[in-house]
Amino acid sequence: MNAIETAPAASMQLISGNHACALGAIAAGCRFFAGYPITPSSEIAERLSRGLPEVDGVFVQMEDEIASIAAVIGASMGGVKAMTATSGPGFSLKQENLGYAAGAEIPCVIVNVMRGGPSTGMPTRPAQGDIMQARWGSHGDYPIIALAPASVREIYTETIRAFDLSETLRTPVVLLYDQVIAQLTETVELGDAGARGRAAAAERKWASGPRESYRPYAVDEDGIPAMSRPGAGYRVHTTGLNHAEDGFPTQNPEAVARNLGRLLAKFERHRDLIDSWQALACEDAEVVIVSIGISARAAIRAVAMCRARGVRAGLFRPVTLWPFPQAALREATAGARAVLVPELNAGQLSLEVQRILGDRPVDAIHRYNGEPITPAEIAERASSLIDTTGAGSAKAPGVRRAR
Amino acid sequence: MKRDQRMEIRIGGTGGQGLILSGKMLAEALSSMGRRVAQSQTYEPTSRGGFCNSDLVVTEGEVDYPLTSALDCLVLLDRMAVAPSWALLKTGALVIADTRLCPETPAGDCSVHQLPLTRTAIELGSERVANIVALGALAVLTGICDRGALERAVRANTPKSFLDINLDALAEGYRLGEQTHRAAATAA
Repeated sequence: MNAIETAPAASMQLISGNHACALGAIAAGCRFFAGYPITPSSEIAERLSRGLPEVDGVFVQMEDEIASIAAVIGASMGGVKAMTATSGPGFSLKQENLGYAAGAEIPCVIVNVMRGGPSTGMPTRPAQGDIMQARWGSHGDYPIIALAPASVREIYTETIRAFDLSETLRTPVVLLYDQVIAQLTETVELGDAGARGRAAAAERKWASGPRESYRPYAVDEDGIPAMSRPGAGYRVHTTGLNHAEDGFPTQNPEAVARNLGRLLAKFERHRDLIDSWQALACEDAEVVIVSIGISARAAIRAVAMCRARGVRAGLFRPVTLWPFPQAALREATAGARAVLVPELNAGQLSLEVQRILGDRPVDAIHRYNGEPITPAEIAERASSLIDTTGAGSAKAPGVRRAR
Repeated sequence: MKRDQRMEIRIGGTGGQGLILSGKMLAEALSSMGRRVAQSQTYEPTSRGGFCNSDLVVTEGEVDYPLTSALDCLVLLDRMAVAPSWALLKTGALVIADTRLCPETPAGDCSVHQLPLTRTAIELGSERVANIVALGALAVLTGICDRGALERAVRANTPKSFLDINLDALAEGYRLGEQTHRAAATAA
């Protein structure tokens, strides 16, 4: 479980979320960044354009977002930890190559700072409208990890975790946060987190053993194929086409089912590494709020406001958004009479929560006008659910739309 | 300030007035004094013009919700900032409004001080330092920040060519604030 804040510590810093992302990337061992500037993510590129050369890393401003992720995939295949950062429209452009990275199992980190949409939307206003795109944005069936930090400090630690998961599990990892958290400047303490990040920096599973028998997508019990270090002499073929264990394209139904099936199930045996959430005051909660990012920050305050007026509220905050920590959500909401999902879109997180909780009532506050949801609004709605969902009079199931 | 006590400040105006920079300077000064600070911004995608608010939440303990919803202090460097901010003012809040760009404010249960922030900046040689004049006045009238800490933050975030004028602007802001403070004390 993750907590938003730490106890007061000796070395406090005042940095923005995007700055924390750049620092986290370098601490995690990222040595290649390719990107194309876009509000409100540009500060990540700006920071890394100065920070990466200082650690003998490479920063490239590419001609566009598509080329950026292509360069990142290439760098990663070259053996370097690599990242790109973008926002809304740029994230849309990256989807095809994101699918390539997922299918070919190329580690890389993609930061998407969510702004208003659709299309170019509202560049400087916050939104959480890319929750489903982060999961389903590219075509076909593929697994993906998306992490959703809610504070400047957590952007730092989750950026490090994004690289660790990406390298360990050979997968693209999306780091997803909103404009408010991105451009928020907070007092944070990174000392311990930084040291921990560096000490634990994950290393990719590299191929070893005889070159003649190496097959790029053959696996042992962990389900993760060993990657060949460039120049190590192993024969490698990488393709976006469906492939068999030897890496070459195939349409043989058994081979496709075997390799794609293995890919789709890859995360299940590593859920202990992947799952992360915060459950705040859920033990005795009669209403559980489920939220991410700036909406979750508002919910933390709303929980306190509710409890001050005698309504036992709690917060469930998925830090790993995809795959959704569903067992933890079921547990956190087991004793609750009502569930409320405040989010900055027309209804995305609430769909997943409803899917997991089945026919139990899930209420939602949906907003897409560029304004964040306030603690008072969440507290008021949460309290009203308890006032009206007394024992025996539970609301009809299904997501209710607020606006 | 007591632990867990929360203070919310907004510096509001238009894009290009350096409001986010002055918010960051104040945040840095308060952070150096051991406070927890969250500085956020709402702005439009234009480099000049359009509304711009630079907000600070200051606490002794951790900041749970980092955005403002009940302002203790509001600086108005343009009338454009009045509409989105007025309803957020707490009862008895402190309002500092620029005499040129925000000469009128709605009625309300708050204490409004009209100060010549931009005029002072123009007299110093550049309207661009109005944000620093405002910082000085704000520091005096809220009493939230040590002058030494604020001056260090201004120095640390000012390019060489603007250092002298920025320090003069800060001093003028302090002078305006102190003048207002004395006048208020005499009136009381």
